[in-house]
Amino acid sequence: MKVVNKVTLGLATIALVFIGCGDGAKPAKVVKEEKAVASISEESLGLRKTDIYQEDDTISEKTEYRSAQAGTSTKIKRAFQDAPPMIPHDVTDFLPITRENNACVSCHAPDIASAMGATPIPPSHFLDMRPRHTCDGVKFKKTVDNTKNETDIKRLTHLNQARYNCSQCHAPQSQGNPSVENLFEANFTKKGGEFKSSWDEVMLDDLDTVGVDSRITSDDLDNSDSAAGHLDGAKH
Amino acid sequence: MSLTRREFLKSSAAASAAAAIGMSVPADLEAKAQKAQSEWRWDKAACRFCGTGCGIMMATSGEGVDRKIVAVKGDPAAPVNRGLNCIKGYFNAKIMYGADRLKKPLLRVDKDGNFDKHGKFAPVSWKRAFDEMEIHTKKALKHGGPEAVAVFASGQYTVMEGYAAQKMMKGGFRSNAIDPNARHCMASAVVGFYQTFGIDEPSGCYDDIEITDTVIAWGSNMAEMHPILWSRVTDRKLSDPDRVKVVSIQTYTHRTSDLADLEIIFTPNTDTAIWNYIAREIVYNHPESIEWEFIRKHIIFAAGPVNLGYGMRRSDDKSIKEGKYTDLEMETISKEMSKVVSKAEGPALEPFGYKEGDTMVNNGGTLGHWEISFEEYKRSLEPYTLSYTAKLCKGDPDEKLRDFKKKLKYLAQLYIEEGRKVVSFWTMGMNQHTRGTWDNTLAYNVHFLLDKQARPGSGAFSLTGQPSACGTAREVGTFTHRLPADMMVKNPKHREIVENKWKIPNGTLNGVGKQHIMQIHRDIEDGLVKFAWVNVCNPYQDTASATHWIKAAREMDNFIVTSDGYPGISAKVSDLILPSAMMYEKWGAYGNAERRTQHWRQQVIPVGDAMSDTWQWMEYAKRFTVDDLWGAYEPSGPRKTPLADVRKQAKDMGYSGDTTMFDILFNNEDARSYKLDQKDPIQKGYDNSEGYGDARNVIGSDGKVFEGYGFHVHKYLFEEYAAFGRGHGHDLAPFDVYHKVRGLKWPVVNGVETQWRFNSKYDPYAAAQTMKSGNPFAFYGTLAKALQSGTLEGKDKASKKVPLPNKAKIFARPYMDAPELPDKEYDTWLSTGRVLEHWHSGTMTMRVPELYRAVPEALCYMHPQDAKDKDLKQGGLCWIESRRGKVKARVETRGRNRPARGLVFVPWFDEKVFINKVCLDATCPMSKQTDYKKCAVKIYRA
Repeated sequence: MKVVNKVTLGLATIALVFIGCGDGAKPAKVVKEEKAVASISEESLGLRKTDIYQEDDTISEKTEYRSAQAGTSTKIKRAFQDAPPMIPHDVTDFLPITRENNACVSCHAPDIASAMGATPIPPSHFLDMRPRHTCDGVKFKKTVDNTKNETDIKRLTHLNQARYNCSQCHAPQSQGNPSVENLFEANFTKKGGEFKSSWDEVMLDDLDTVGVDSRITSDDLDNSDSAAGHLDGAKH
Repeated sequence: MSLTRREFLKSSAAASAAAAIGMSVPADLEAKAQKAQSEWRWDKAACRFCGTGCGIMMATSGEGVDRKIVAVKGDPAAPVNRGLNCIKGYFNAKIMYGADRLKKPLLRVDKDGNFDKHGKFAPVSWKRAFDEMEIHTKKALKHGGPEAVAVFASGQYTVMEGYAAQKMMKGGFRSNAIDPNARHCMASAVVGFYQTFGIDEPSGCYDDIEITDTVIAWGSNMAEMHPILWSRVTDRKLSDPDRVKVVSIQTYTHRTSDLADLEIIFTPNTDTAIWNYIAREIVYNHPESIEWEFIRKHIIFAAGPVNLGYGMRRSDDKSIKEGKYTDLEMETISKEMSKVVSKAEGPALEPFGYKEGDTMVNNGGTLGHWEISFEEYKRSLEPYTLSYTAKLCKGDPDEKLRDFKKKLKYLAQLYIEEGRKVVSFWTMGMNQHTRGTWDNTLAYNVHFLLDKQARPGSGAFSLTGQPSACGTAREVGTFTHRLPADMMVKNPKHREIVENKWKIPNGTLNGVGKQHIMQIHRDIEDGLVKFAWVNVCNPYQDTASATHWIKAAREMDNFIVTSDGYPGISAKVSDLILPSAMMYEKWGAYGNAERRTQHWRQQVIPVGDAMSDTWQWMEYAKRFTVDDLWGAYEPSGPRKTPLADVRKQAKDMGYSGDTTMFDILFNNEDARSYKLDQKDPIQKGYDNSEGYGDARNVIGSDGKVFEGYGFHVHKYLFEEYAAFGRGHGHDLAPFDVYHKVRGLKWPVVNGVETQWRFNSKYDPYAAAQTMKSGNPFAFYGTLAKALQSGTLEGKDKASKKVPLPNKAKIFARPYMDAPELPDKEYDTWLSTGRVLEHWHSGTMTMRVPELYRAVPEALCYMHPQDAKDKDLKQGGLCWIESRRGKVKARVETRGRNRPARGLVFVPWFDEKVFINKVCLDATCPMSKQTDYKKCAVKIYRA
């Protein structure tokens, strides 16, 4: 446990009483209740540590985005393998992204990014993953079968326009920290994964999540062994 | 019961061939086995956040209790998002790992360890927690019957949790005081659907986006609130920039406008006038564009009363009489009983029999309406000339009226243009509105007149806010007035169907469902509700006029319980806090805004002693017997008649006085037939903490190690719930099917999903209705499908009810003012809402470092000139003060939200900028949904 505060200390104590120790060693069938000890104040809980009944002393942490100019900033480590990178530089002059102007692309396009000292937009952003169903205005036809989890991926020569709104996934970062730690542990499985995406190499792996049985069967649809799954003819 | 790695590897090796998943990919993209990632187990899941309902692929690693989420990526097979997520979606990976996860029940106690409302919290056992809940629930039942026991429910419940909660509340406690936070986000949409179609939920689907020529966002910041849908809109727009038009109709400029061809900034609440203006353009100036054949076959015209009030407290409410509201607050609340018709709304109300200066006596909300002639409908539109509408609606004082008029004309042209497909999207702007129900029905009017509804690429499309506002809150029916599959508690036939299915005596269910979520808060303040349980929501942060509800919880004699993953504001004001398993620590299902139901499996074992809300409900149900709950009850609260004693019938059914609700509702023969089976490919290798218990050996509610219920609880609850809709237009596929696909859009008939409802080409239910007539549509919803007739001024009481099978309705509904308008003292509109990076009250996302750092504080977005006029500095602190309260925030004049002069926007995710203390708890009087978008504030330097 990385953070030990009053709350977790209290919890740790009681955890010993109830859970005991050691793997698989079940505690006695019925555990005697210890006297509850008031130890945790309302204020100590949560993100807001001030009294919630008045506002005079409550102020949020000020936003302090990095002021480093694009091309001069230090990259921020990705949160986990193939996670979207956060923006390490000042974006004041680059946002908003509009129909006419996407300043991000002008530096991060793969052919110029390295010259600009920018992270290149990865190959995954140059794929169209959306199957293009057809509709002549009257008749709609799917081009893939979603009951079979089919995919249809095409390589593009331009940025996939569904990814045009860069700020939808990538955000500048203020200097502060949440008042509680996050215990998530990243595990980079690719060399250099802290700073580089290689998702396009693995994106179709592991999609059959039910293994060899991933296809719908007639038994599945029949559902005859579902005792509660039918209403026995009542109309409403 | 964790999967052994060997088992997993065996199955994934067999399945790794690309052919098995049936994909067509360029050869150079073909998947390569990733040695490093073979330690990881990937599974599909749904995103935790908004109503879009994206699919994610989630990787976990480790054994037993040490298995943790290690990565999330977009799911290329998920039809909604095809491999792309938004920033929140990716960070699902981290939301369960904040260091202050609740791990033990916490009870307020005195120095002797006894419950004390004013004590500090002490960690206690689950047994002690349920002991206290049992004591206080029984006390509440004795005090005020079932109406005194309430639940703050959620649009973020899994389907199974919502069903379990509803079953115990309505079937066990006979209480309809269960209502979700979805009331605050979707209720106006729901009532709009009921009024217009007679059945809930959209006709269209997201495929409309790729087919349409025109996307019109009404009061909705889709770019931030439905980012993946917006990425689809962006793709569509940029792929055919000349043909495809995007219109952003808003009360302030934001990211959605950045992509738009046309932006219209309107004065808050006047969107109803814009809709009527478009309808007037059609009816008066372009009558040739009306599709009369469609109208004659499928549409009737209707009207209802306009003097409905604003869903605020009424003069005979106990807390009003006791003076719990200040004179300042009463300045606004007094309009609930009567108001003077203003100059702005005078012309709009004239066809309804009111004119400027008249006193309108408000009778409170009613859903009643009657049929009118087309001529009457036409008369209701007469006032919305371009001149009147433009003057009323123009929301930017610095914009020229002439320019604004041009925009309105262009907007109307886009709708009217022959052959142009149009989708209108909206969410909170039109729903959180004191005339939200009207606003929703007005949208369908325009689409109906032009026959641009329920067709591929065309339709008025209500987007949901929460991940299962549709799937759980609406479809399961965890609203005070609803039962599953669009059935209603007030309908005796519907109650009987549910009673039979639940195997509880006829007459058990309570027929009065009026305790909506705002009413539950008010009933606590009035002293009716004495026990309230918060499930998967944060009602003490998310409700307007927040100070009242916090005071009522903390200072009155009642018992408030909050189940949550983290200690948010609601937990802090509670008497008992229960640690809940979070999303990926349990099996579940959500339903999104396009009727898509999506399931996921339990990915990891919960932290500490946290257990799912389903488990909590089942353990709670063990504490109550037939004799405890099923005797007679005197009238209470909204229920004016007694509830019958049904214990004798219960005994005739084979139950005894001490049979528990657990055994009747959850642990019955049907339930136990859903076997745990590690050979079942769906269950194999996955934890099921409710079924088996788990490696933590949590000490349960009886003081013994919880070793599991021994059956597949989630499958049972889902299947039993699904039974209500199958064959009734809400058909859900079998449980196992959902684990093999990335969701399906109901009705799912013979394994096939429905793209466009009511359209006989696509909807088997519509096809069945139109087999004889050959009609292209059937609006087959059954609610309010027999009407009397009348005029705009009122119903002809002598008229006969006429049945309206398969018809939809166009409603005559006027513009009306909001109950609180800016004035000299409180001179600025306050609008609240969300931001892309945070979810609702921020309990999850404010604990994810990347999301926190992206937006660490709620800012007060305002026009630079307003800031200057008020002597405020960019980045400086200001007070935002209304008649109800004030908060401090920093001024932002250059941010993503760019209001015109006279309006500020403050998001509500930040506990430290408690903006709901400032907001007004006025609601749409029909839907009871709060209007968080409008109240009057003053802003000054702090």
